[in-house]
Amino acid sequence: MKRIVVLFVFLGLLGFLSESSAVAKNIDLSTVPDRDTVQLTIYNSADLTLVRETRKIVFRDGNNPLQFSWANTLIDPTSVQLRFLNHADKLDVLDTTFPHDRPQVLVWNVGSEHAGEATIEISYFTSGVSWSADYTVIANADESAASVEGYVTVSNQSGEDYENAEVRLVVGTINLVEQIAELARNAGRDPSELSRREQNFYQLDAARRSVAMADLLMAESAAVPASPAPKRIVKQGLSEYFIFAIEGTEDIGHNSRKRLASFAADAAPLKVQYRYRPREYGDQLVRLFLMTNDTASDMGVSPLPDGQVRIFRQKDDGTSGGGKGLSFLSRQHVKYIPIGDDLELNLGVDPDVGFELITQRTFRDNIWLQQRGVNVFKRIDEPGVKIHDNSTVAGWDQHWVMTRRIRNDTPRAIEVEIRQAVNGDATFISRLGAERFDNQTVVYGGTLGPGARFDAEYEVVGRHGHNAKQSRVEIVEGDPAPPAWLAEATD
Amino acid sequence: MVSRVYRGVLIPLDAENLLMKPLGRMLLIPVMMIALLVPSLAEARIKLITLPVRERVEIQLDHDTATLVEEERVVPLVQGVNQVDFSWANTQIDPSTIVFRVLGPPAPESGDVDTPEVNVLSVTYPPGENALVWQVSSSASTSVTVRISYLIGGLTKGFNYRAVAAYDESTLTLSQYIRVQNFAGEAYDDTEIYAGLGDTFLKPIGVNETKQMLVERFENLPVKKTYTADLHRFGWLDQTQYKLRVPMHYRIENAADAGLGQAALPAGKVRIFQKDSPDGETPGGATTAFLGEDFAPHTPIGNHADLFLGVAQDIVVKRTVEARKDDRLAGNLYDRRVTMKYEIENFKDEAVTLNLAEQIEALRRELGLASGQSAEWVLGEATTMRDGLIIDETNQQQITFAVDLPARNGDEAEKITHTLEIVFKNQW
Repeated sequence: MKRIVVLFVFLGLLGFLSESSAVAKNIDLSTVPDRDTVQLTIYNSADLTLVRETRKIVFRDGNNPLQFSWANTLIDPTSVQLRFLNHADKLDVLDTTFPHDRPQVLVWNVGSEHAGEATIEISYFTSGVSWSADYTVIANADESAASVEGYVTVSNQSGEDYENAEVRLVVGTINLVEQIAELARNAGRDPSELSRREQNFYQLDAARRSVAMADLLMAESAAVPASPAPKRIVKQGLSEYFIFAIEGTEDIGHNSRKRLASFAADAAPLKVQYRYRPREYGDQLVRLFLMTNDTASDMGVSPLPDGQVRIFRQKDDGTSGGGKGLSFLSRQHVKYIPIGDDLELNLGVDPDVGFELITQRTFRDNIWLQQRGVNVFKRIDEPGVKIHDNSTVAGWDQHWVMTRRIRNDTPRAIEVEIRQAVNGDATFISRLGAERFDNQTVVYGGTLGPGARFDAEYEVVGRHGHNAKQSRVEIVEGDPAPPAWLAEATD
Repeated sequence: MVSRVYRGVLIPLDAENLLMKPLGRMLLIPVMMIALLVPSLAEARIKLITLPVRERVEIQLDHDTATLVEEERVVPLVQGVNQVDFSWANTQIDPSTIVFRVLGPPAPESGDVDTPEVNVLSVTYPPGENALVWQVSSSASTSVTVRISYLIGGLTKGFNYRAVAAYDESTLTLSQYIRVQNFAGEAYDDTEIYAGLGDTFLKPIGVNETKQMLVERFENLPVKKTYTADLHRFGWLDQTQYKLRVPMHYRIENAADAGLGQAALPAGKVRIFQKDSPDGETPGGATTAFLGEDFAPHTPIGNHADLFLGVAQDIVVKRTVEARKDDRLAGNLYDRRVTMKYEIENFKDEAVTLNLAEQIEALRRELGLASGQSAEWVLGEATTMRDGLIIDETNQQQITFAVDLPARNGDEAEKITHTLEIVFKNQW
């Protein structure tokens, strides 16, 4: 329902115009000019929508009171602004009154030297209108490519119906406060001393500037195709964010929710990788679908806004009428993906890929003792050294001989990457071709064929106490120590 | 046609009966606007509706926790913009997962009819209702098959097994069943049910119905009967007498040479029976006796499942700490020696092999030797079971020996004594 109303009040019939109260009369006559156009610019980083609407008004010479009311809506009254789109040099807002006896109403007193029609623009902020993005990813049966469909959904709980509205969706986190502060400084004001009303003024101005370029885009995309087709959503980067402009107009009624296709990529290249990265994915080997938001993937026109992704795979077993049936894989929320960046979809643990860590052996060597009260260290296995009974262990190397056992029971080869932290002053010994990821992290991996098993064997030597001289992991190519119990058993 | 307004649209009365069903309701309603095209559903008041029935339904149970339903319906579309209304009640459809795909003309027509261009223009969600409306454009008046996929709650699966062992317990027949429970509030007629392994089942499944189906039967699987004494996994039988509990397991290898090994065996309850006579000896076939049941874990290819059947009370294992000794290396640095003694008697009238195991860290805790870091250990000279070390079941955390036990000789069982010495090296 429409609750935002502009009344053109004919005070001339009353024969009297008060300077202080334009409409404090018991008998009024008013006309209700309709909206000609309305444009919504919806930010998803805050509950904020800039509404710009135009209406045609016939002015007469002299004073013209205009009443604007917004009962039961979520408009910020301090943000309401009136602008004249034509005859601006002959029209002027003489004063604005917020009547004390009527909430959610204001009255502009417009002085006019122009007798005739003029177009006005009323802009304001409202909350309660929001938008969100979501995606459907369907991998092909061999998981080499995927179709990606992006959607935007606009919801309106603002209390107002917006019919035939141009809709623009702002992608990215816009720090309006900063823009407000900058505008204030440009105007020679200290941002910290701005009143609420002044802040809103600058906020409106900032938002208005931020969408100025989108006007041009909307004009370019205004041509309506001859046959019904999904609406294009024009994407344009502006400063630190993007604006998605929905082609044509939409009815965005109160309590409504509407979802539109944003883009579709038919066969985006897909890479499957199994990763062990405890910092990112927990202590488990997870399967990932990796794609890139670029033109090679039929994407890359805009960043991908935060949103939920549903991931399916097409079945290939012939049980579903030409292999068109789906298997559900996962559902998750992805964060903002810039153009050119990777889209990583974590499908979780694959029960067909085993991953276990086996401790084959631990032992200590290079043990140093220190006599109590004396700053002398002696290594226990040094020939001819005599160690006083009153000595304690002050430094030692701890060896961990480990096996990461990986089992691939899937019907295809898998790529595995293991990234593990090795803390302290440590050495990582293996024949795995491990590389240093950072100061305390090693990374290794490879490809494992279908049905194959692999034992990734390595030894970590950690230097403790007096032995610890550094804080870094060094990587050494070599064989891990064999298990001692095995040596005993095979003696 | 007698009709009644339901949520702002006209629905034939016979269809209304469908709506009034107390259980779940799912409807797909393409709306043909015959007078003029009205862009908004909210504004359209006079409409003619067809109710396309489900042509085909698949229930995909291959995901661990989610159930995907895919249904195909043939939807008539007029040239221009159509509204297709999908609504549900008393079901647990997750609306955020609904995927609508146009497959093309229905199969019998697909050879003669040009594929129309069909596009989904938008989706609207009527406020306060379990429904959504697709705006679909079509380049021609035709019928197309659409596939609607969604996740649904309350429709779950589980696996269970029935194993019948031969009289001599050397082999068994394993039957794998899937049990589908439908508490989703929606009945599905002649549904293709895919469990993630095996074939697809074509079965109806009604509301609140549970259906159990045989997925596969594996005949003559070799089975190994094991007896294990391991204090820290299976506990005491009688702690005051130092007697260990000795469980008996059936071990089934999920391997190709054992008749399995094609796929992982999903977790599930296994009920185990045994034939009470050899095959062919009893007229009419052997009957079976219930041996016990256990919950089998998820068993990947190449792994084995140990099914616990019961405690073998005829194998008595007494475990005591025979000796402890600390060898000082220097200062506060020691090698700590622990010797365990096992006195074992087999009161069965057949020879068996006992697996004797120790969990190293649990043993250190038991003896008060645990510290922050795990310890290097080696077998000490007092160990008498070196020849029986099971390499595959021994690592830093566990040591396992196989001990052969002779059958009871008349009234007397031979007592076999073994010792295990473990040296924890470089401790302080």
